Amino acid sequence: MYCVKCGVRLNEGVTACPLCRTPVWNPETKVEPTANYSARYPRPPKSKRYPILAFITILLAALCLSVLIFCLTQYGRVAWSGYVMLGVALVYFSMIFPFWFEKRHPLIFVPLAFLLTCGYLLYICLYNHGNWFLPFAFPVVMILGAITTASVALFRYGKRRRLRKTGALLVVIGCSSMLIEMFECITFGTEMFTWSLYPTCVLSLVGLFLILSGVIPPWREYLERKLFF
Amino acid sequence: MSRKWMRLDNAALIFPAIRKRRWVNVFRLSATLDAPIDPAILQAAVDDLKPRFPSMYVRLKTGLFWYYLEEIPGTPQVREDYAYPLVLMQEKELHTCCLRVVYFRNRLAVEFFHSLTDGNGGLVYLKTLTARYLERKTGARIPAGEGVLDWQDKPAPEELEDSFQKHANKYVLNDKEPAALHVRGTYEPNFLHLLTGRIPADALLEASHRYGATVTVFLAAVLAESLLQYQQTRIGRDRRRPVKITVPVNLRKLYGSRTLRNFILTLNPGVDPRMGTYTLPELCKVIGAQISAEATPQRMSGRIAANVSPQQVLPIRLAPLPVKNLVMRLVYSVRGERCGCLTLSNLGVIRLPAEMGEPVKRMEFIIGPQITYPHNCGVATWNGTTYVNFIRNIRECELERLFFARLVELGVPVHIESNDPR
Ligand SMILES: [Zn+2]
Repeated sequence: MYCVKCGVRLNEGVTACPLCRTPVWNPETKVEPTANYSARYPRPPKSKRYPILAFITILLAALCLSVLIFCLTQYGRVAWSGYVMLGVALVYFSMIFPFWFEKRHPLIFVPLAFLLTCGYLLYICLYNHGNWFLPFAFPVVMILGAITTASVALFRYGKRRRLRKTGALLVVIGCSSMLIEMFECITFGTEMFTWSLYPTCVLSLVGLFLILSGVIPPWREYLERKLFF
Repeated sequence: MSRKWMRLDNAALIFPAIRKRRWVNVFRLSATLDAPIDPAILQAAVDDLKPRFPSMYVRLKTGLFWYYLEEIPGTPQVREDYAYPLVLMQEKELHTCCLRVVYFRNRLAVEFFHSLTDGNGGLVYLKTLTARYLERKTGARIPAGEGVLDWQDKPAPEELEDSFQKHANKYVLNDKEPAALHVRGTYEPNFLHLLTGRIPADALLEASHRYGATVTVFLAAVLAESLLQYQQTRIGRDRRRPVKITVPVNLRKLYGSRTLRNFILTLNPGVDPRMGTYTLPELCKVIGAQISAEATPQRMSGRIAANVSPQQVLPIRLAPLPVKNLVMRLVYSVRGERCGCLTLSNLGVIRLPAEMGEPVKRMEFIIGPQITYPHNCGVATWNGTTYVNFIRNIRECELERLFFARLVELGVPVHIESNDPR
């Protein structure tokens, strides 16, 4: 019995060529193929990751609980243990929790980390009766989160045109520094354009330069020739 | 009672340092007989050989500065084979025994952790084990010779030596190599696909001679051609990488060593497709020339020195084991398997004493897949048939298809078998 596509000989009774998956059809043979390996599977290997993760989880939970109990007995209220507990939760959910999953999901967990940071800042702001969260902290963290998520998406799910991507990101980061200063102005009443112009100008120039070198190959080659080290 | 122990040889050091789920540091040698295997007799044969092969009946142990191999108290338990060969040897198993003996129907197979030995050393064990099994089964005496050792002999010291240390040059040969094409596919955990191509040895030899090449060079050239074609259809011209085949060289032949431990070095002959297209005769010529230029005792001793010399630097020797592991991982990720697309390991024509010619139907050699590069290929010839065993941990078998279809095109008949249940 032969595969019509590859021309290789096959064992009697197989239903498809193992190389190209072309179905084999032979009206004359009724032979069951004899497997040359058993049907037994070994137990899949256990990962060492989960016990370690569980240990860290329990450790952090114990830490939170003991701090809470200490504050409750000492002051009769939550007091500063709120900072600790929410801080631990922030660190846990942004740095440890993602490893419970077999696959990395940066597009879920990176935005989540920034959202949690927002929540933490909101707690601090409310606890101190501040009014800086909504006009300053929230938009700034959101901007940083959006930029980080975008760069993760750009570089993880596409390995090509890196020069152009890096350039565009630098321009965006540069411009966002101006936005951040604007929120700073509104919230704290500082002067506009005291610091943000420098990063905006420098990063935008470098970014544009990278974009140009990405778009014009001869220019890139020229630079490589002149700047190699 | 103090147990015997030994240091790892130079080539063995890397395997315990890098243990990953995808990297199966195990190879398999199997013999298929004319009757179903009797597990009790096989177990008795395995027990018999323990005094003769002290370097095989060992387990991996951790010292403060190095790993070492320690004699095991008993012998490995023979067990039935699984649905795929080369099941990952996990830490627990390595600390119990680094050798596996398995059987399925008419086939008995031995799987070696690569720190124990290489294919040639392992073959001596398999031959002796098979001979002893047949002796016990049939009662007929099989004389030693053709690689079968007398199981009642005392082990010779030169069988246990680390030949790398003995044959290192004073001068270190350091060649930097560019990274080779990386074949990618859909990783499949907890299964290894095995494709076996059974090829009449005379047809293969005739085809090789037509191109003025040895069988190994010819197979490597056809494999390189398949890889070039693979790359051409899916990777743009600017991003193409060199196509190189890792070919182990048996150093025992070069230096007349009798060691049963690791004594191979690998070469990475190949071509860079960015320089232009290559035809099969050109590939045969280039790969053959590259191998014969490198596989000389002089140059090989320089390569051995490159591997051995770091092992002799005092600060490195005194570094704690975890530090060493970290460094080795780093070095391997830069210099290791990136230099070849896959390994083509040819054990050549296997010879056995005449008494074993009748009952032994097949002899096969299977090597495990690498960390990131998904394929490997082991070749062995027995009784006029060459068995080409492709292992892979990805679903796709495009490379194998190109390779075997090309052989058929060249007039070499191929009979394909697979362990795929589907
Ligand atoms: Zn086919």
